[in-house]
Amino acid sequence: MMRLSFFCIFATIVFVTGQDQDGLINSNVERTLDLVSHLPKEIISVTIENRGTKATRYYDYYVEPQHVNNVAYVGAAVKGKDNDDQGNLVIKQETTDKTKGAVYRIALPNDLRAGQTITLEIEVAHVNALRLYPAEITQTERQLVLYKANPYYYSRYTTQTQKTTVTLPTDRAESYTQTPKPVAKSEQTITYGPYENVAALTRSEITLHYENNNPFLTVSSLNRWIEVSHWGNVAVEETIDMYHSGAKLKGPFSRLDFQRRPDSLSAVKTFKTSLPASARDVYYRDEIGNVSTSHVKEMQDQVEVEIRPRFPLFGGWRTHYMLGYNVPSYQYLFNKGNQYVLKMRLVDHVYDDQLLEQVTIRIVLPEHTRNIEFYPPPYGVERLPNEKHYTYLDTVGRPVVVITKRNVLFQHIQDFEIHYTFDKIMLFNEPMLLVGPLFGLFCLVIILVRLNFSISRNEISEARMRVQAVWDQVVENNLKRTGFYQKIDDALNTYKTNKDLKGYNEQRKKIENELKTVQQDLAGLQAKVKADSADSAEKIAELQRLDTQQREIQQVLSGLAEKLVGNKLAKPAYLTQEEVARTRLREINARISAIINQY
Amino acid sequence: MDAFTSILPFKQLLPQKLSYDKQETFLKLFILASAGILAFATRLFSVLRYESVIHEFDPYFNYRTTKFLTDEGFYSFHNWFDDRAWYPLGRIIGGTIYPGLMVTSAALYHALRWFHITIDIRNVCVFLAPLFSSFTVIVTYLLTKELKNTSAGLVAACLISIVPGYISRSVAGSYDNEGIAIFCMLLTYYLWIKAIKTGSIMWSASCALAYFYMVSSWGGYVFLINLIPLHVLALMFTGHFSHRIYVSYSTFYIMGTILSMQISFVGFQPVQSSEHMLAFGTFGLCQLFSFVEYVKSKLTQAQFDALFSFALVTVGFALSVAGLVLWASGKIAPWTGRFYALLDPSYAKNHIPIIASVSEHQPTAWSSFFFDFELLVFMFPVGIYYCFKELTDANIFIIIYGMTSIYFAGVMVRLMLVLAPVMCVLSGIGISSILTTYMRNLDVSQPKKSAGTASAGSRSRRTDDSSTYPRKNEIAFGVVCLMTFFLITYVFHCTWVTSEAYSSPSIVLSARGGDGSRYIFDDFREAYWWLRYNTDEDAKVMSWWDYGYQITAMANRTILVDNNTWNNTHISRVGQAMSSTEDKAYEIMRELDVDYVLVIFGGLIGYSSDDINKFLWMVRIGGSTDKGAHIKESDYFTPQGEFRVDKEGSPTLLNCLMYKLSYYRFGETYTEQDKPPGYDRTRSVEIGNKNFELEKLEEAYTTEHWLVRIYKVKKEENRGQS
Repeated sequence: MMRLSFFCIFATIVFVTGQDQDGLINSNVERTLDLVSHLPKEIISVTIENRGTKATRYYDYYVEPQHVNNVAYVGAAVKGKDNDDQGNLVIKQETTDKTKGAVYRIALPNDLRAGQTITLEIEVAHVNALRLYPAEITQTERQLVLYKANPYYYSRYTTQTQKTTVTLPTDRAESYTQTPKPVAKSEQTITYGPYENVAALTRSEITLHYENNNPFLTVSSLNRWIEVSHWGNVAVEETIDMYHSGAKLKGPFSRLDFQRRPDSLSAVKTFKTSLPASARDVYYRDEIGNVSTSHVKEMQDQVEVEIRPRFPLFGGWRTHYMLGYNVPSYQYLFNKGNQYVLKMRLVDHVYDDQLLEQVTIRIVLPEHTRNIEFYPPPYGVERLPNEKHYTYLDTVGRPVVVITKRNVLFQHIQDFEIHYTFDKIMLFNEPMLLVGPLFGLFCLVIILVRLNFSISRNEISEARMRVQAVWDQVVENNLKRTGFYQKIDDALNTYKTNKDLKGYNEQRKKIENELKTVQQDLAGLQAKVKADSADSAEKIAELQRLDTQQREIQQVLSGLAEKLVGNKLAKPAYLTQEEVARTRLREINARISAIINQY
Repeated sequence: MDAFTSILPFKQLLPQKLSYDKQETFLKLFILASAGILAFATRLFSVLRYESVIHEFDPYFNYRTTKFLTDEGFYSFHNWFDDRAWYPLGRIIGGTIYPGLMVTSAALYHALRWFHITIDIRNVCVFLAPLFSSFTVIVTYLLTKELKNTSAGLVAACLISIVPGYISRSVAGSYDNEGIAIFCMLLTYYLWIKAIKTGSIMWSASCALAYFYMVSSWGGYVFLINLIPLHVLALMFTGHFSHRIYVSYSTFYIMGTILSMQISFVGFQPVQSSEHMLAFGTFGLCQLFSFVEYVKSKLTQAQFDALFSFALVTVGFALSVAGLVLWASGKIAPWTGRFYALLDPSYAKNHIPIIASVSEHQPTAWSSFFFDFELLVFMFPVGIYYCFKELTDANIFIIIYGMTSIYFAGVMVRLMLVLAPVMCVLSGIGISSILTTYMRNLDVSQPKKSAGTASAGSRSRRTDDSSTYPRKNEIAFGVVCLMTFFLITYVFHCTWVTSEAYSSPSIVLSARGGDGSRYIFDDFREAYWWLRYNTDEDAKVMSWWDYGYQITAMANRTILVDNNTWNNTHISRVGQAMSSTEDKAYEIMRELDVDYVLVIFGGLIGYSSDDINKFLWMVRIGGSTDKGAHIKESDYFTPQGEFRVDKEGSPTLLNCLMYKLSYYRFGETYTEQDKPPGYDRTRSVEIGNKNFELEKLEEAYTTEHWLVRIYKVKKEENRGQS
């Protein structure tokens, strides 16, 4: 056994030195193991020195084989550079080796020449790395977890000095491995090391058993639905399945105890979700309706939604909800001519220290978009084949881009881009779809109303319609008639002032001729309507009679005026006689309009 | 109609060019459209105040079945055996429901989907009742127009659009059969009136189709199938029977019966059960009557008399023998309890506790007539008076409808709904007749000079014959003003009632805080959601039957009893479990394989319709079967005959399962200032039995305000562990 392990170490050394061609060593490593949340986070500040001869571009970060599946995020930056966006280095995951673990190749910002040093800060987030111990607790018990880690920095390179600082959520640790010395614990921190000259790929194990009452909130699946409208809106809806991945609740749940002790330990009562600052119309609901327990706070740079699930989540309890909102598209959708770019966050912040185990994002683009290109954020996502979605006023369906990713953390909240082509003329497609059928409907109604489609002749209604048509004409003629009388009156008045008898007579003749035609028309109509409605014919005859009377009075009036002008009649006498005539005229007019108005 | 158009203040706004015909059409359309929109809009209080959510209990079942229908298609719906309800019996849903409602919503849903209008099925269900209310407005107009005239029709349409008696069952979210059934009922009546007026087979057949729709949507079709024969009978006795009625009724009865038998829940009832016998008998009588008339026309009087007396004896004898044989062989089904309850209000209370326990089966209080109808209560007799004045076939029908439905509405609160339309129709006739009479008088007394308009001229002709009396104009003015005032108060009353009484979804409770802010109690959904996500998928939940539909629909868990109270013994068993001691109840629960028990408890927040207040019904129903004979109602009262939960309460009550589940650990809780712990705010007493532990059950979940409490039934301990 001894020999075997010796052999192993020997082989390892040979192997490592064989590999260690680029001559890098870790001259100083300061490792912080942050165990405060349910996602253990490692921040490794490593100073690299190139002891070799050649310049190198890469630094390999290794993950122990047992942790390969737990690592959800690896990020690296050059220490000291504050502008974080620039500092992020490109990382590529190489093939995983079963014995040595996963390799992440970090590209250095520039060649590291012989003798030079550089300090990197590597951030690693682990998921599902904590073991709940015990796995089931009662409502009032504390939640204890077990974490196994390597006290040494696991690296392909030799490490000269290193130190690991573990931060616990509370100062209560049930137990922690006391080797390899030196180990020091002060309140919440346990320090392992410093250790000198640790060989490459050294593995050891320490076990920490400590209290962690943080909410172990985990989203088992998140479906994000982004619907882009070119009318100025982007609608986002997230359907979330959530569970408490902490120690399972054992035994009864007592509301009384829960209410008495508001600090009910690991239960999740509320959490905060941050949405973009421009989010409007936020809704929070599930299949059975609105969840009436939430608050929305609008802040400078975000909209904060305080979400309270319908019930507090204890270990093992699950819930499900939908959260949706709208954002104006001008903040996310850019275009140049027919070329559009959609730039949005792949996921939102759901809660602090979020762990979204399975995320599916569906981006619904407007109908008739072409040349869709998807540019993922700087980490790997899987793109599934496009789907089609049909909703209001769709004919050919909207293309849906489908993206999935596993284990999404806070660090993954980054932008993606979609480039596509959309002909602007197609914006008119949807209004036309509304206008077209309505126009058709109106046309149809017009045709149906104007034309007679009945296969049998209904004499009565036909006759009624004919009578109606005749009366329409009568009304028109009547309008004409009154117009002419008005003209005669006007002419009379003019005559009274300018005393031009000839002009007046001429004008009167002309108008009277016109009136005659009107009367003839009416007579014609009377003849026409006689067959269908004797009543109507009688009415028209009555009209004619009234008209004749009116004409007579008009003549009397004009005779009077002539007398007045010729000074054959005194003014007062004229006025009384005129008044009598006028009254009769008014009566006649009233009777005429009474007849006309009946139809 | 011209009288009608001229009274409108906005006559001036109408285009003058339009002929009177067109003006009338325009006004009709305008008023009807407004009434229809108003009917829809006034029912949206709850959606605006809360959310688009299904209300009450039964609608949740309807919603669940509709969802199933849209997801799985009609055939699987028809053959659906639901194993989530009535565990362990299950329920054949397809054969025990009226599918009209579900089919309507599913059809609407699919039609919208076809146009790519991606509306959620829940929203279709929520807004279906308001939509059908708008249709009802139109049908009411048509019906009243057939009975009286257009103006009465318009008034009736406006009245029904906001009548609270109908709104109570058709607000948005109240997704129940009645929502569409009232529309179907009125449509059937309208077509029936059309049919007897014309005697045409087309109208009768349409009437039968409408009747089929009615049968497919509501059990209340029995009212309809008795009312129409009653009308025919009344016509026979009043000498109004004619060939038109013969044709209409024969066509309607034959087609309607055959069609109604296609609904599997109805099956052979139309030819077997006593409830349908009136229709059948009237059909036979119609044939006999016509045959006799025919024979009479061919024979001399003496011959006819001889034949008639002979036939009366033989046929009468044969019929009674046949009836006896059928009755003895059980072909004529005994009348069901609900029907007896209609005829004898005290029947249910004495015989079937489960019918009596439903609040909507209680006899109606007088005040609720005014509450639900207001002005209509007074205008209803006026309408009847006008109908009697002009006794046509159609008016006889509406009188019979009015009289029977007012009786039934008095017997059962729920049937206020059947009364509401006829109230509106008759009041519409009454109001419009009064207004027409006095409006004329208003115009007549105006100076003759202004008689320039044609309408006045034509009216003066009509009013010539009316006798004049002093101060005609002033009286007319007073009556019109009074009527206007009544109508305005009617609108205010209806809106107030709708907003205050009929627009709370009951699944969400709300209260006003001290500072006027609204506080929402969402405990029901909290509990159902918890059940849905945190219990085993096959868990069986025991609760009182009121909550059955909601649990299956929202929590998606198997339940023992639900609101379809078809099996009395099963419900009784649950009642026995609730009213027994914990040990006895445990045996019953083991027998029924119960995993969780759910109780509603309002003591903490003062919610009055909780399980303790319903508890006496559980005791009564539990004790109504053989197995529960040992449960006696009197044991749960104090010697003084009081039902109380404090120290003086009967020990049987203080130790039964329901009590323990409701008050578990409540004795340690402070609910109100200056009161001892365990003070029940619903019943305003300090509870009697405080410190007890549960042995066979454990608290699984209690909602925020303790409104719903869920307990887990512990499994039996392994043998040998002691």
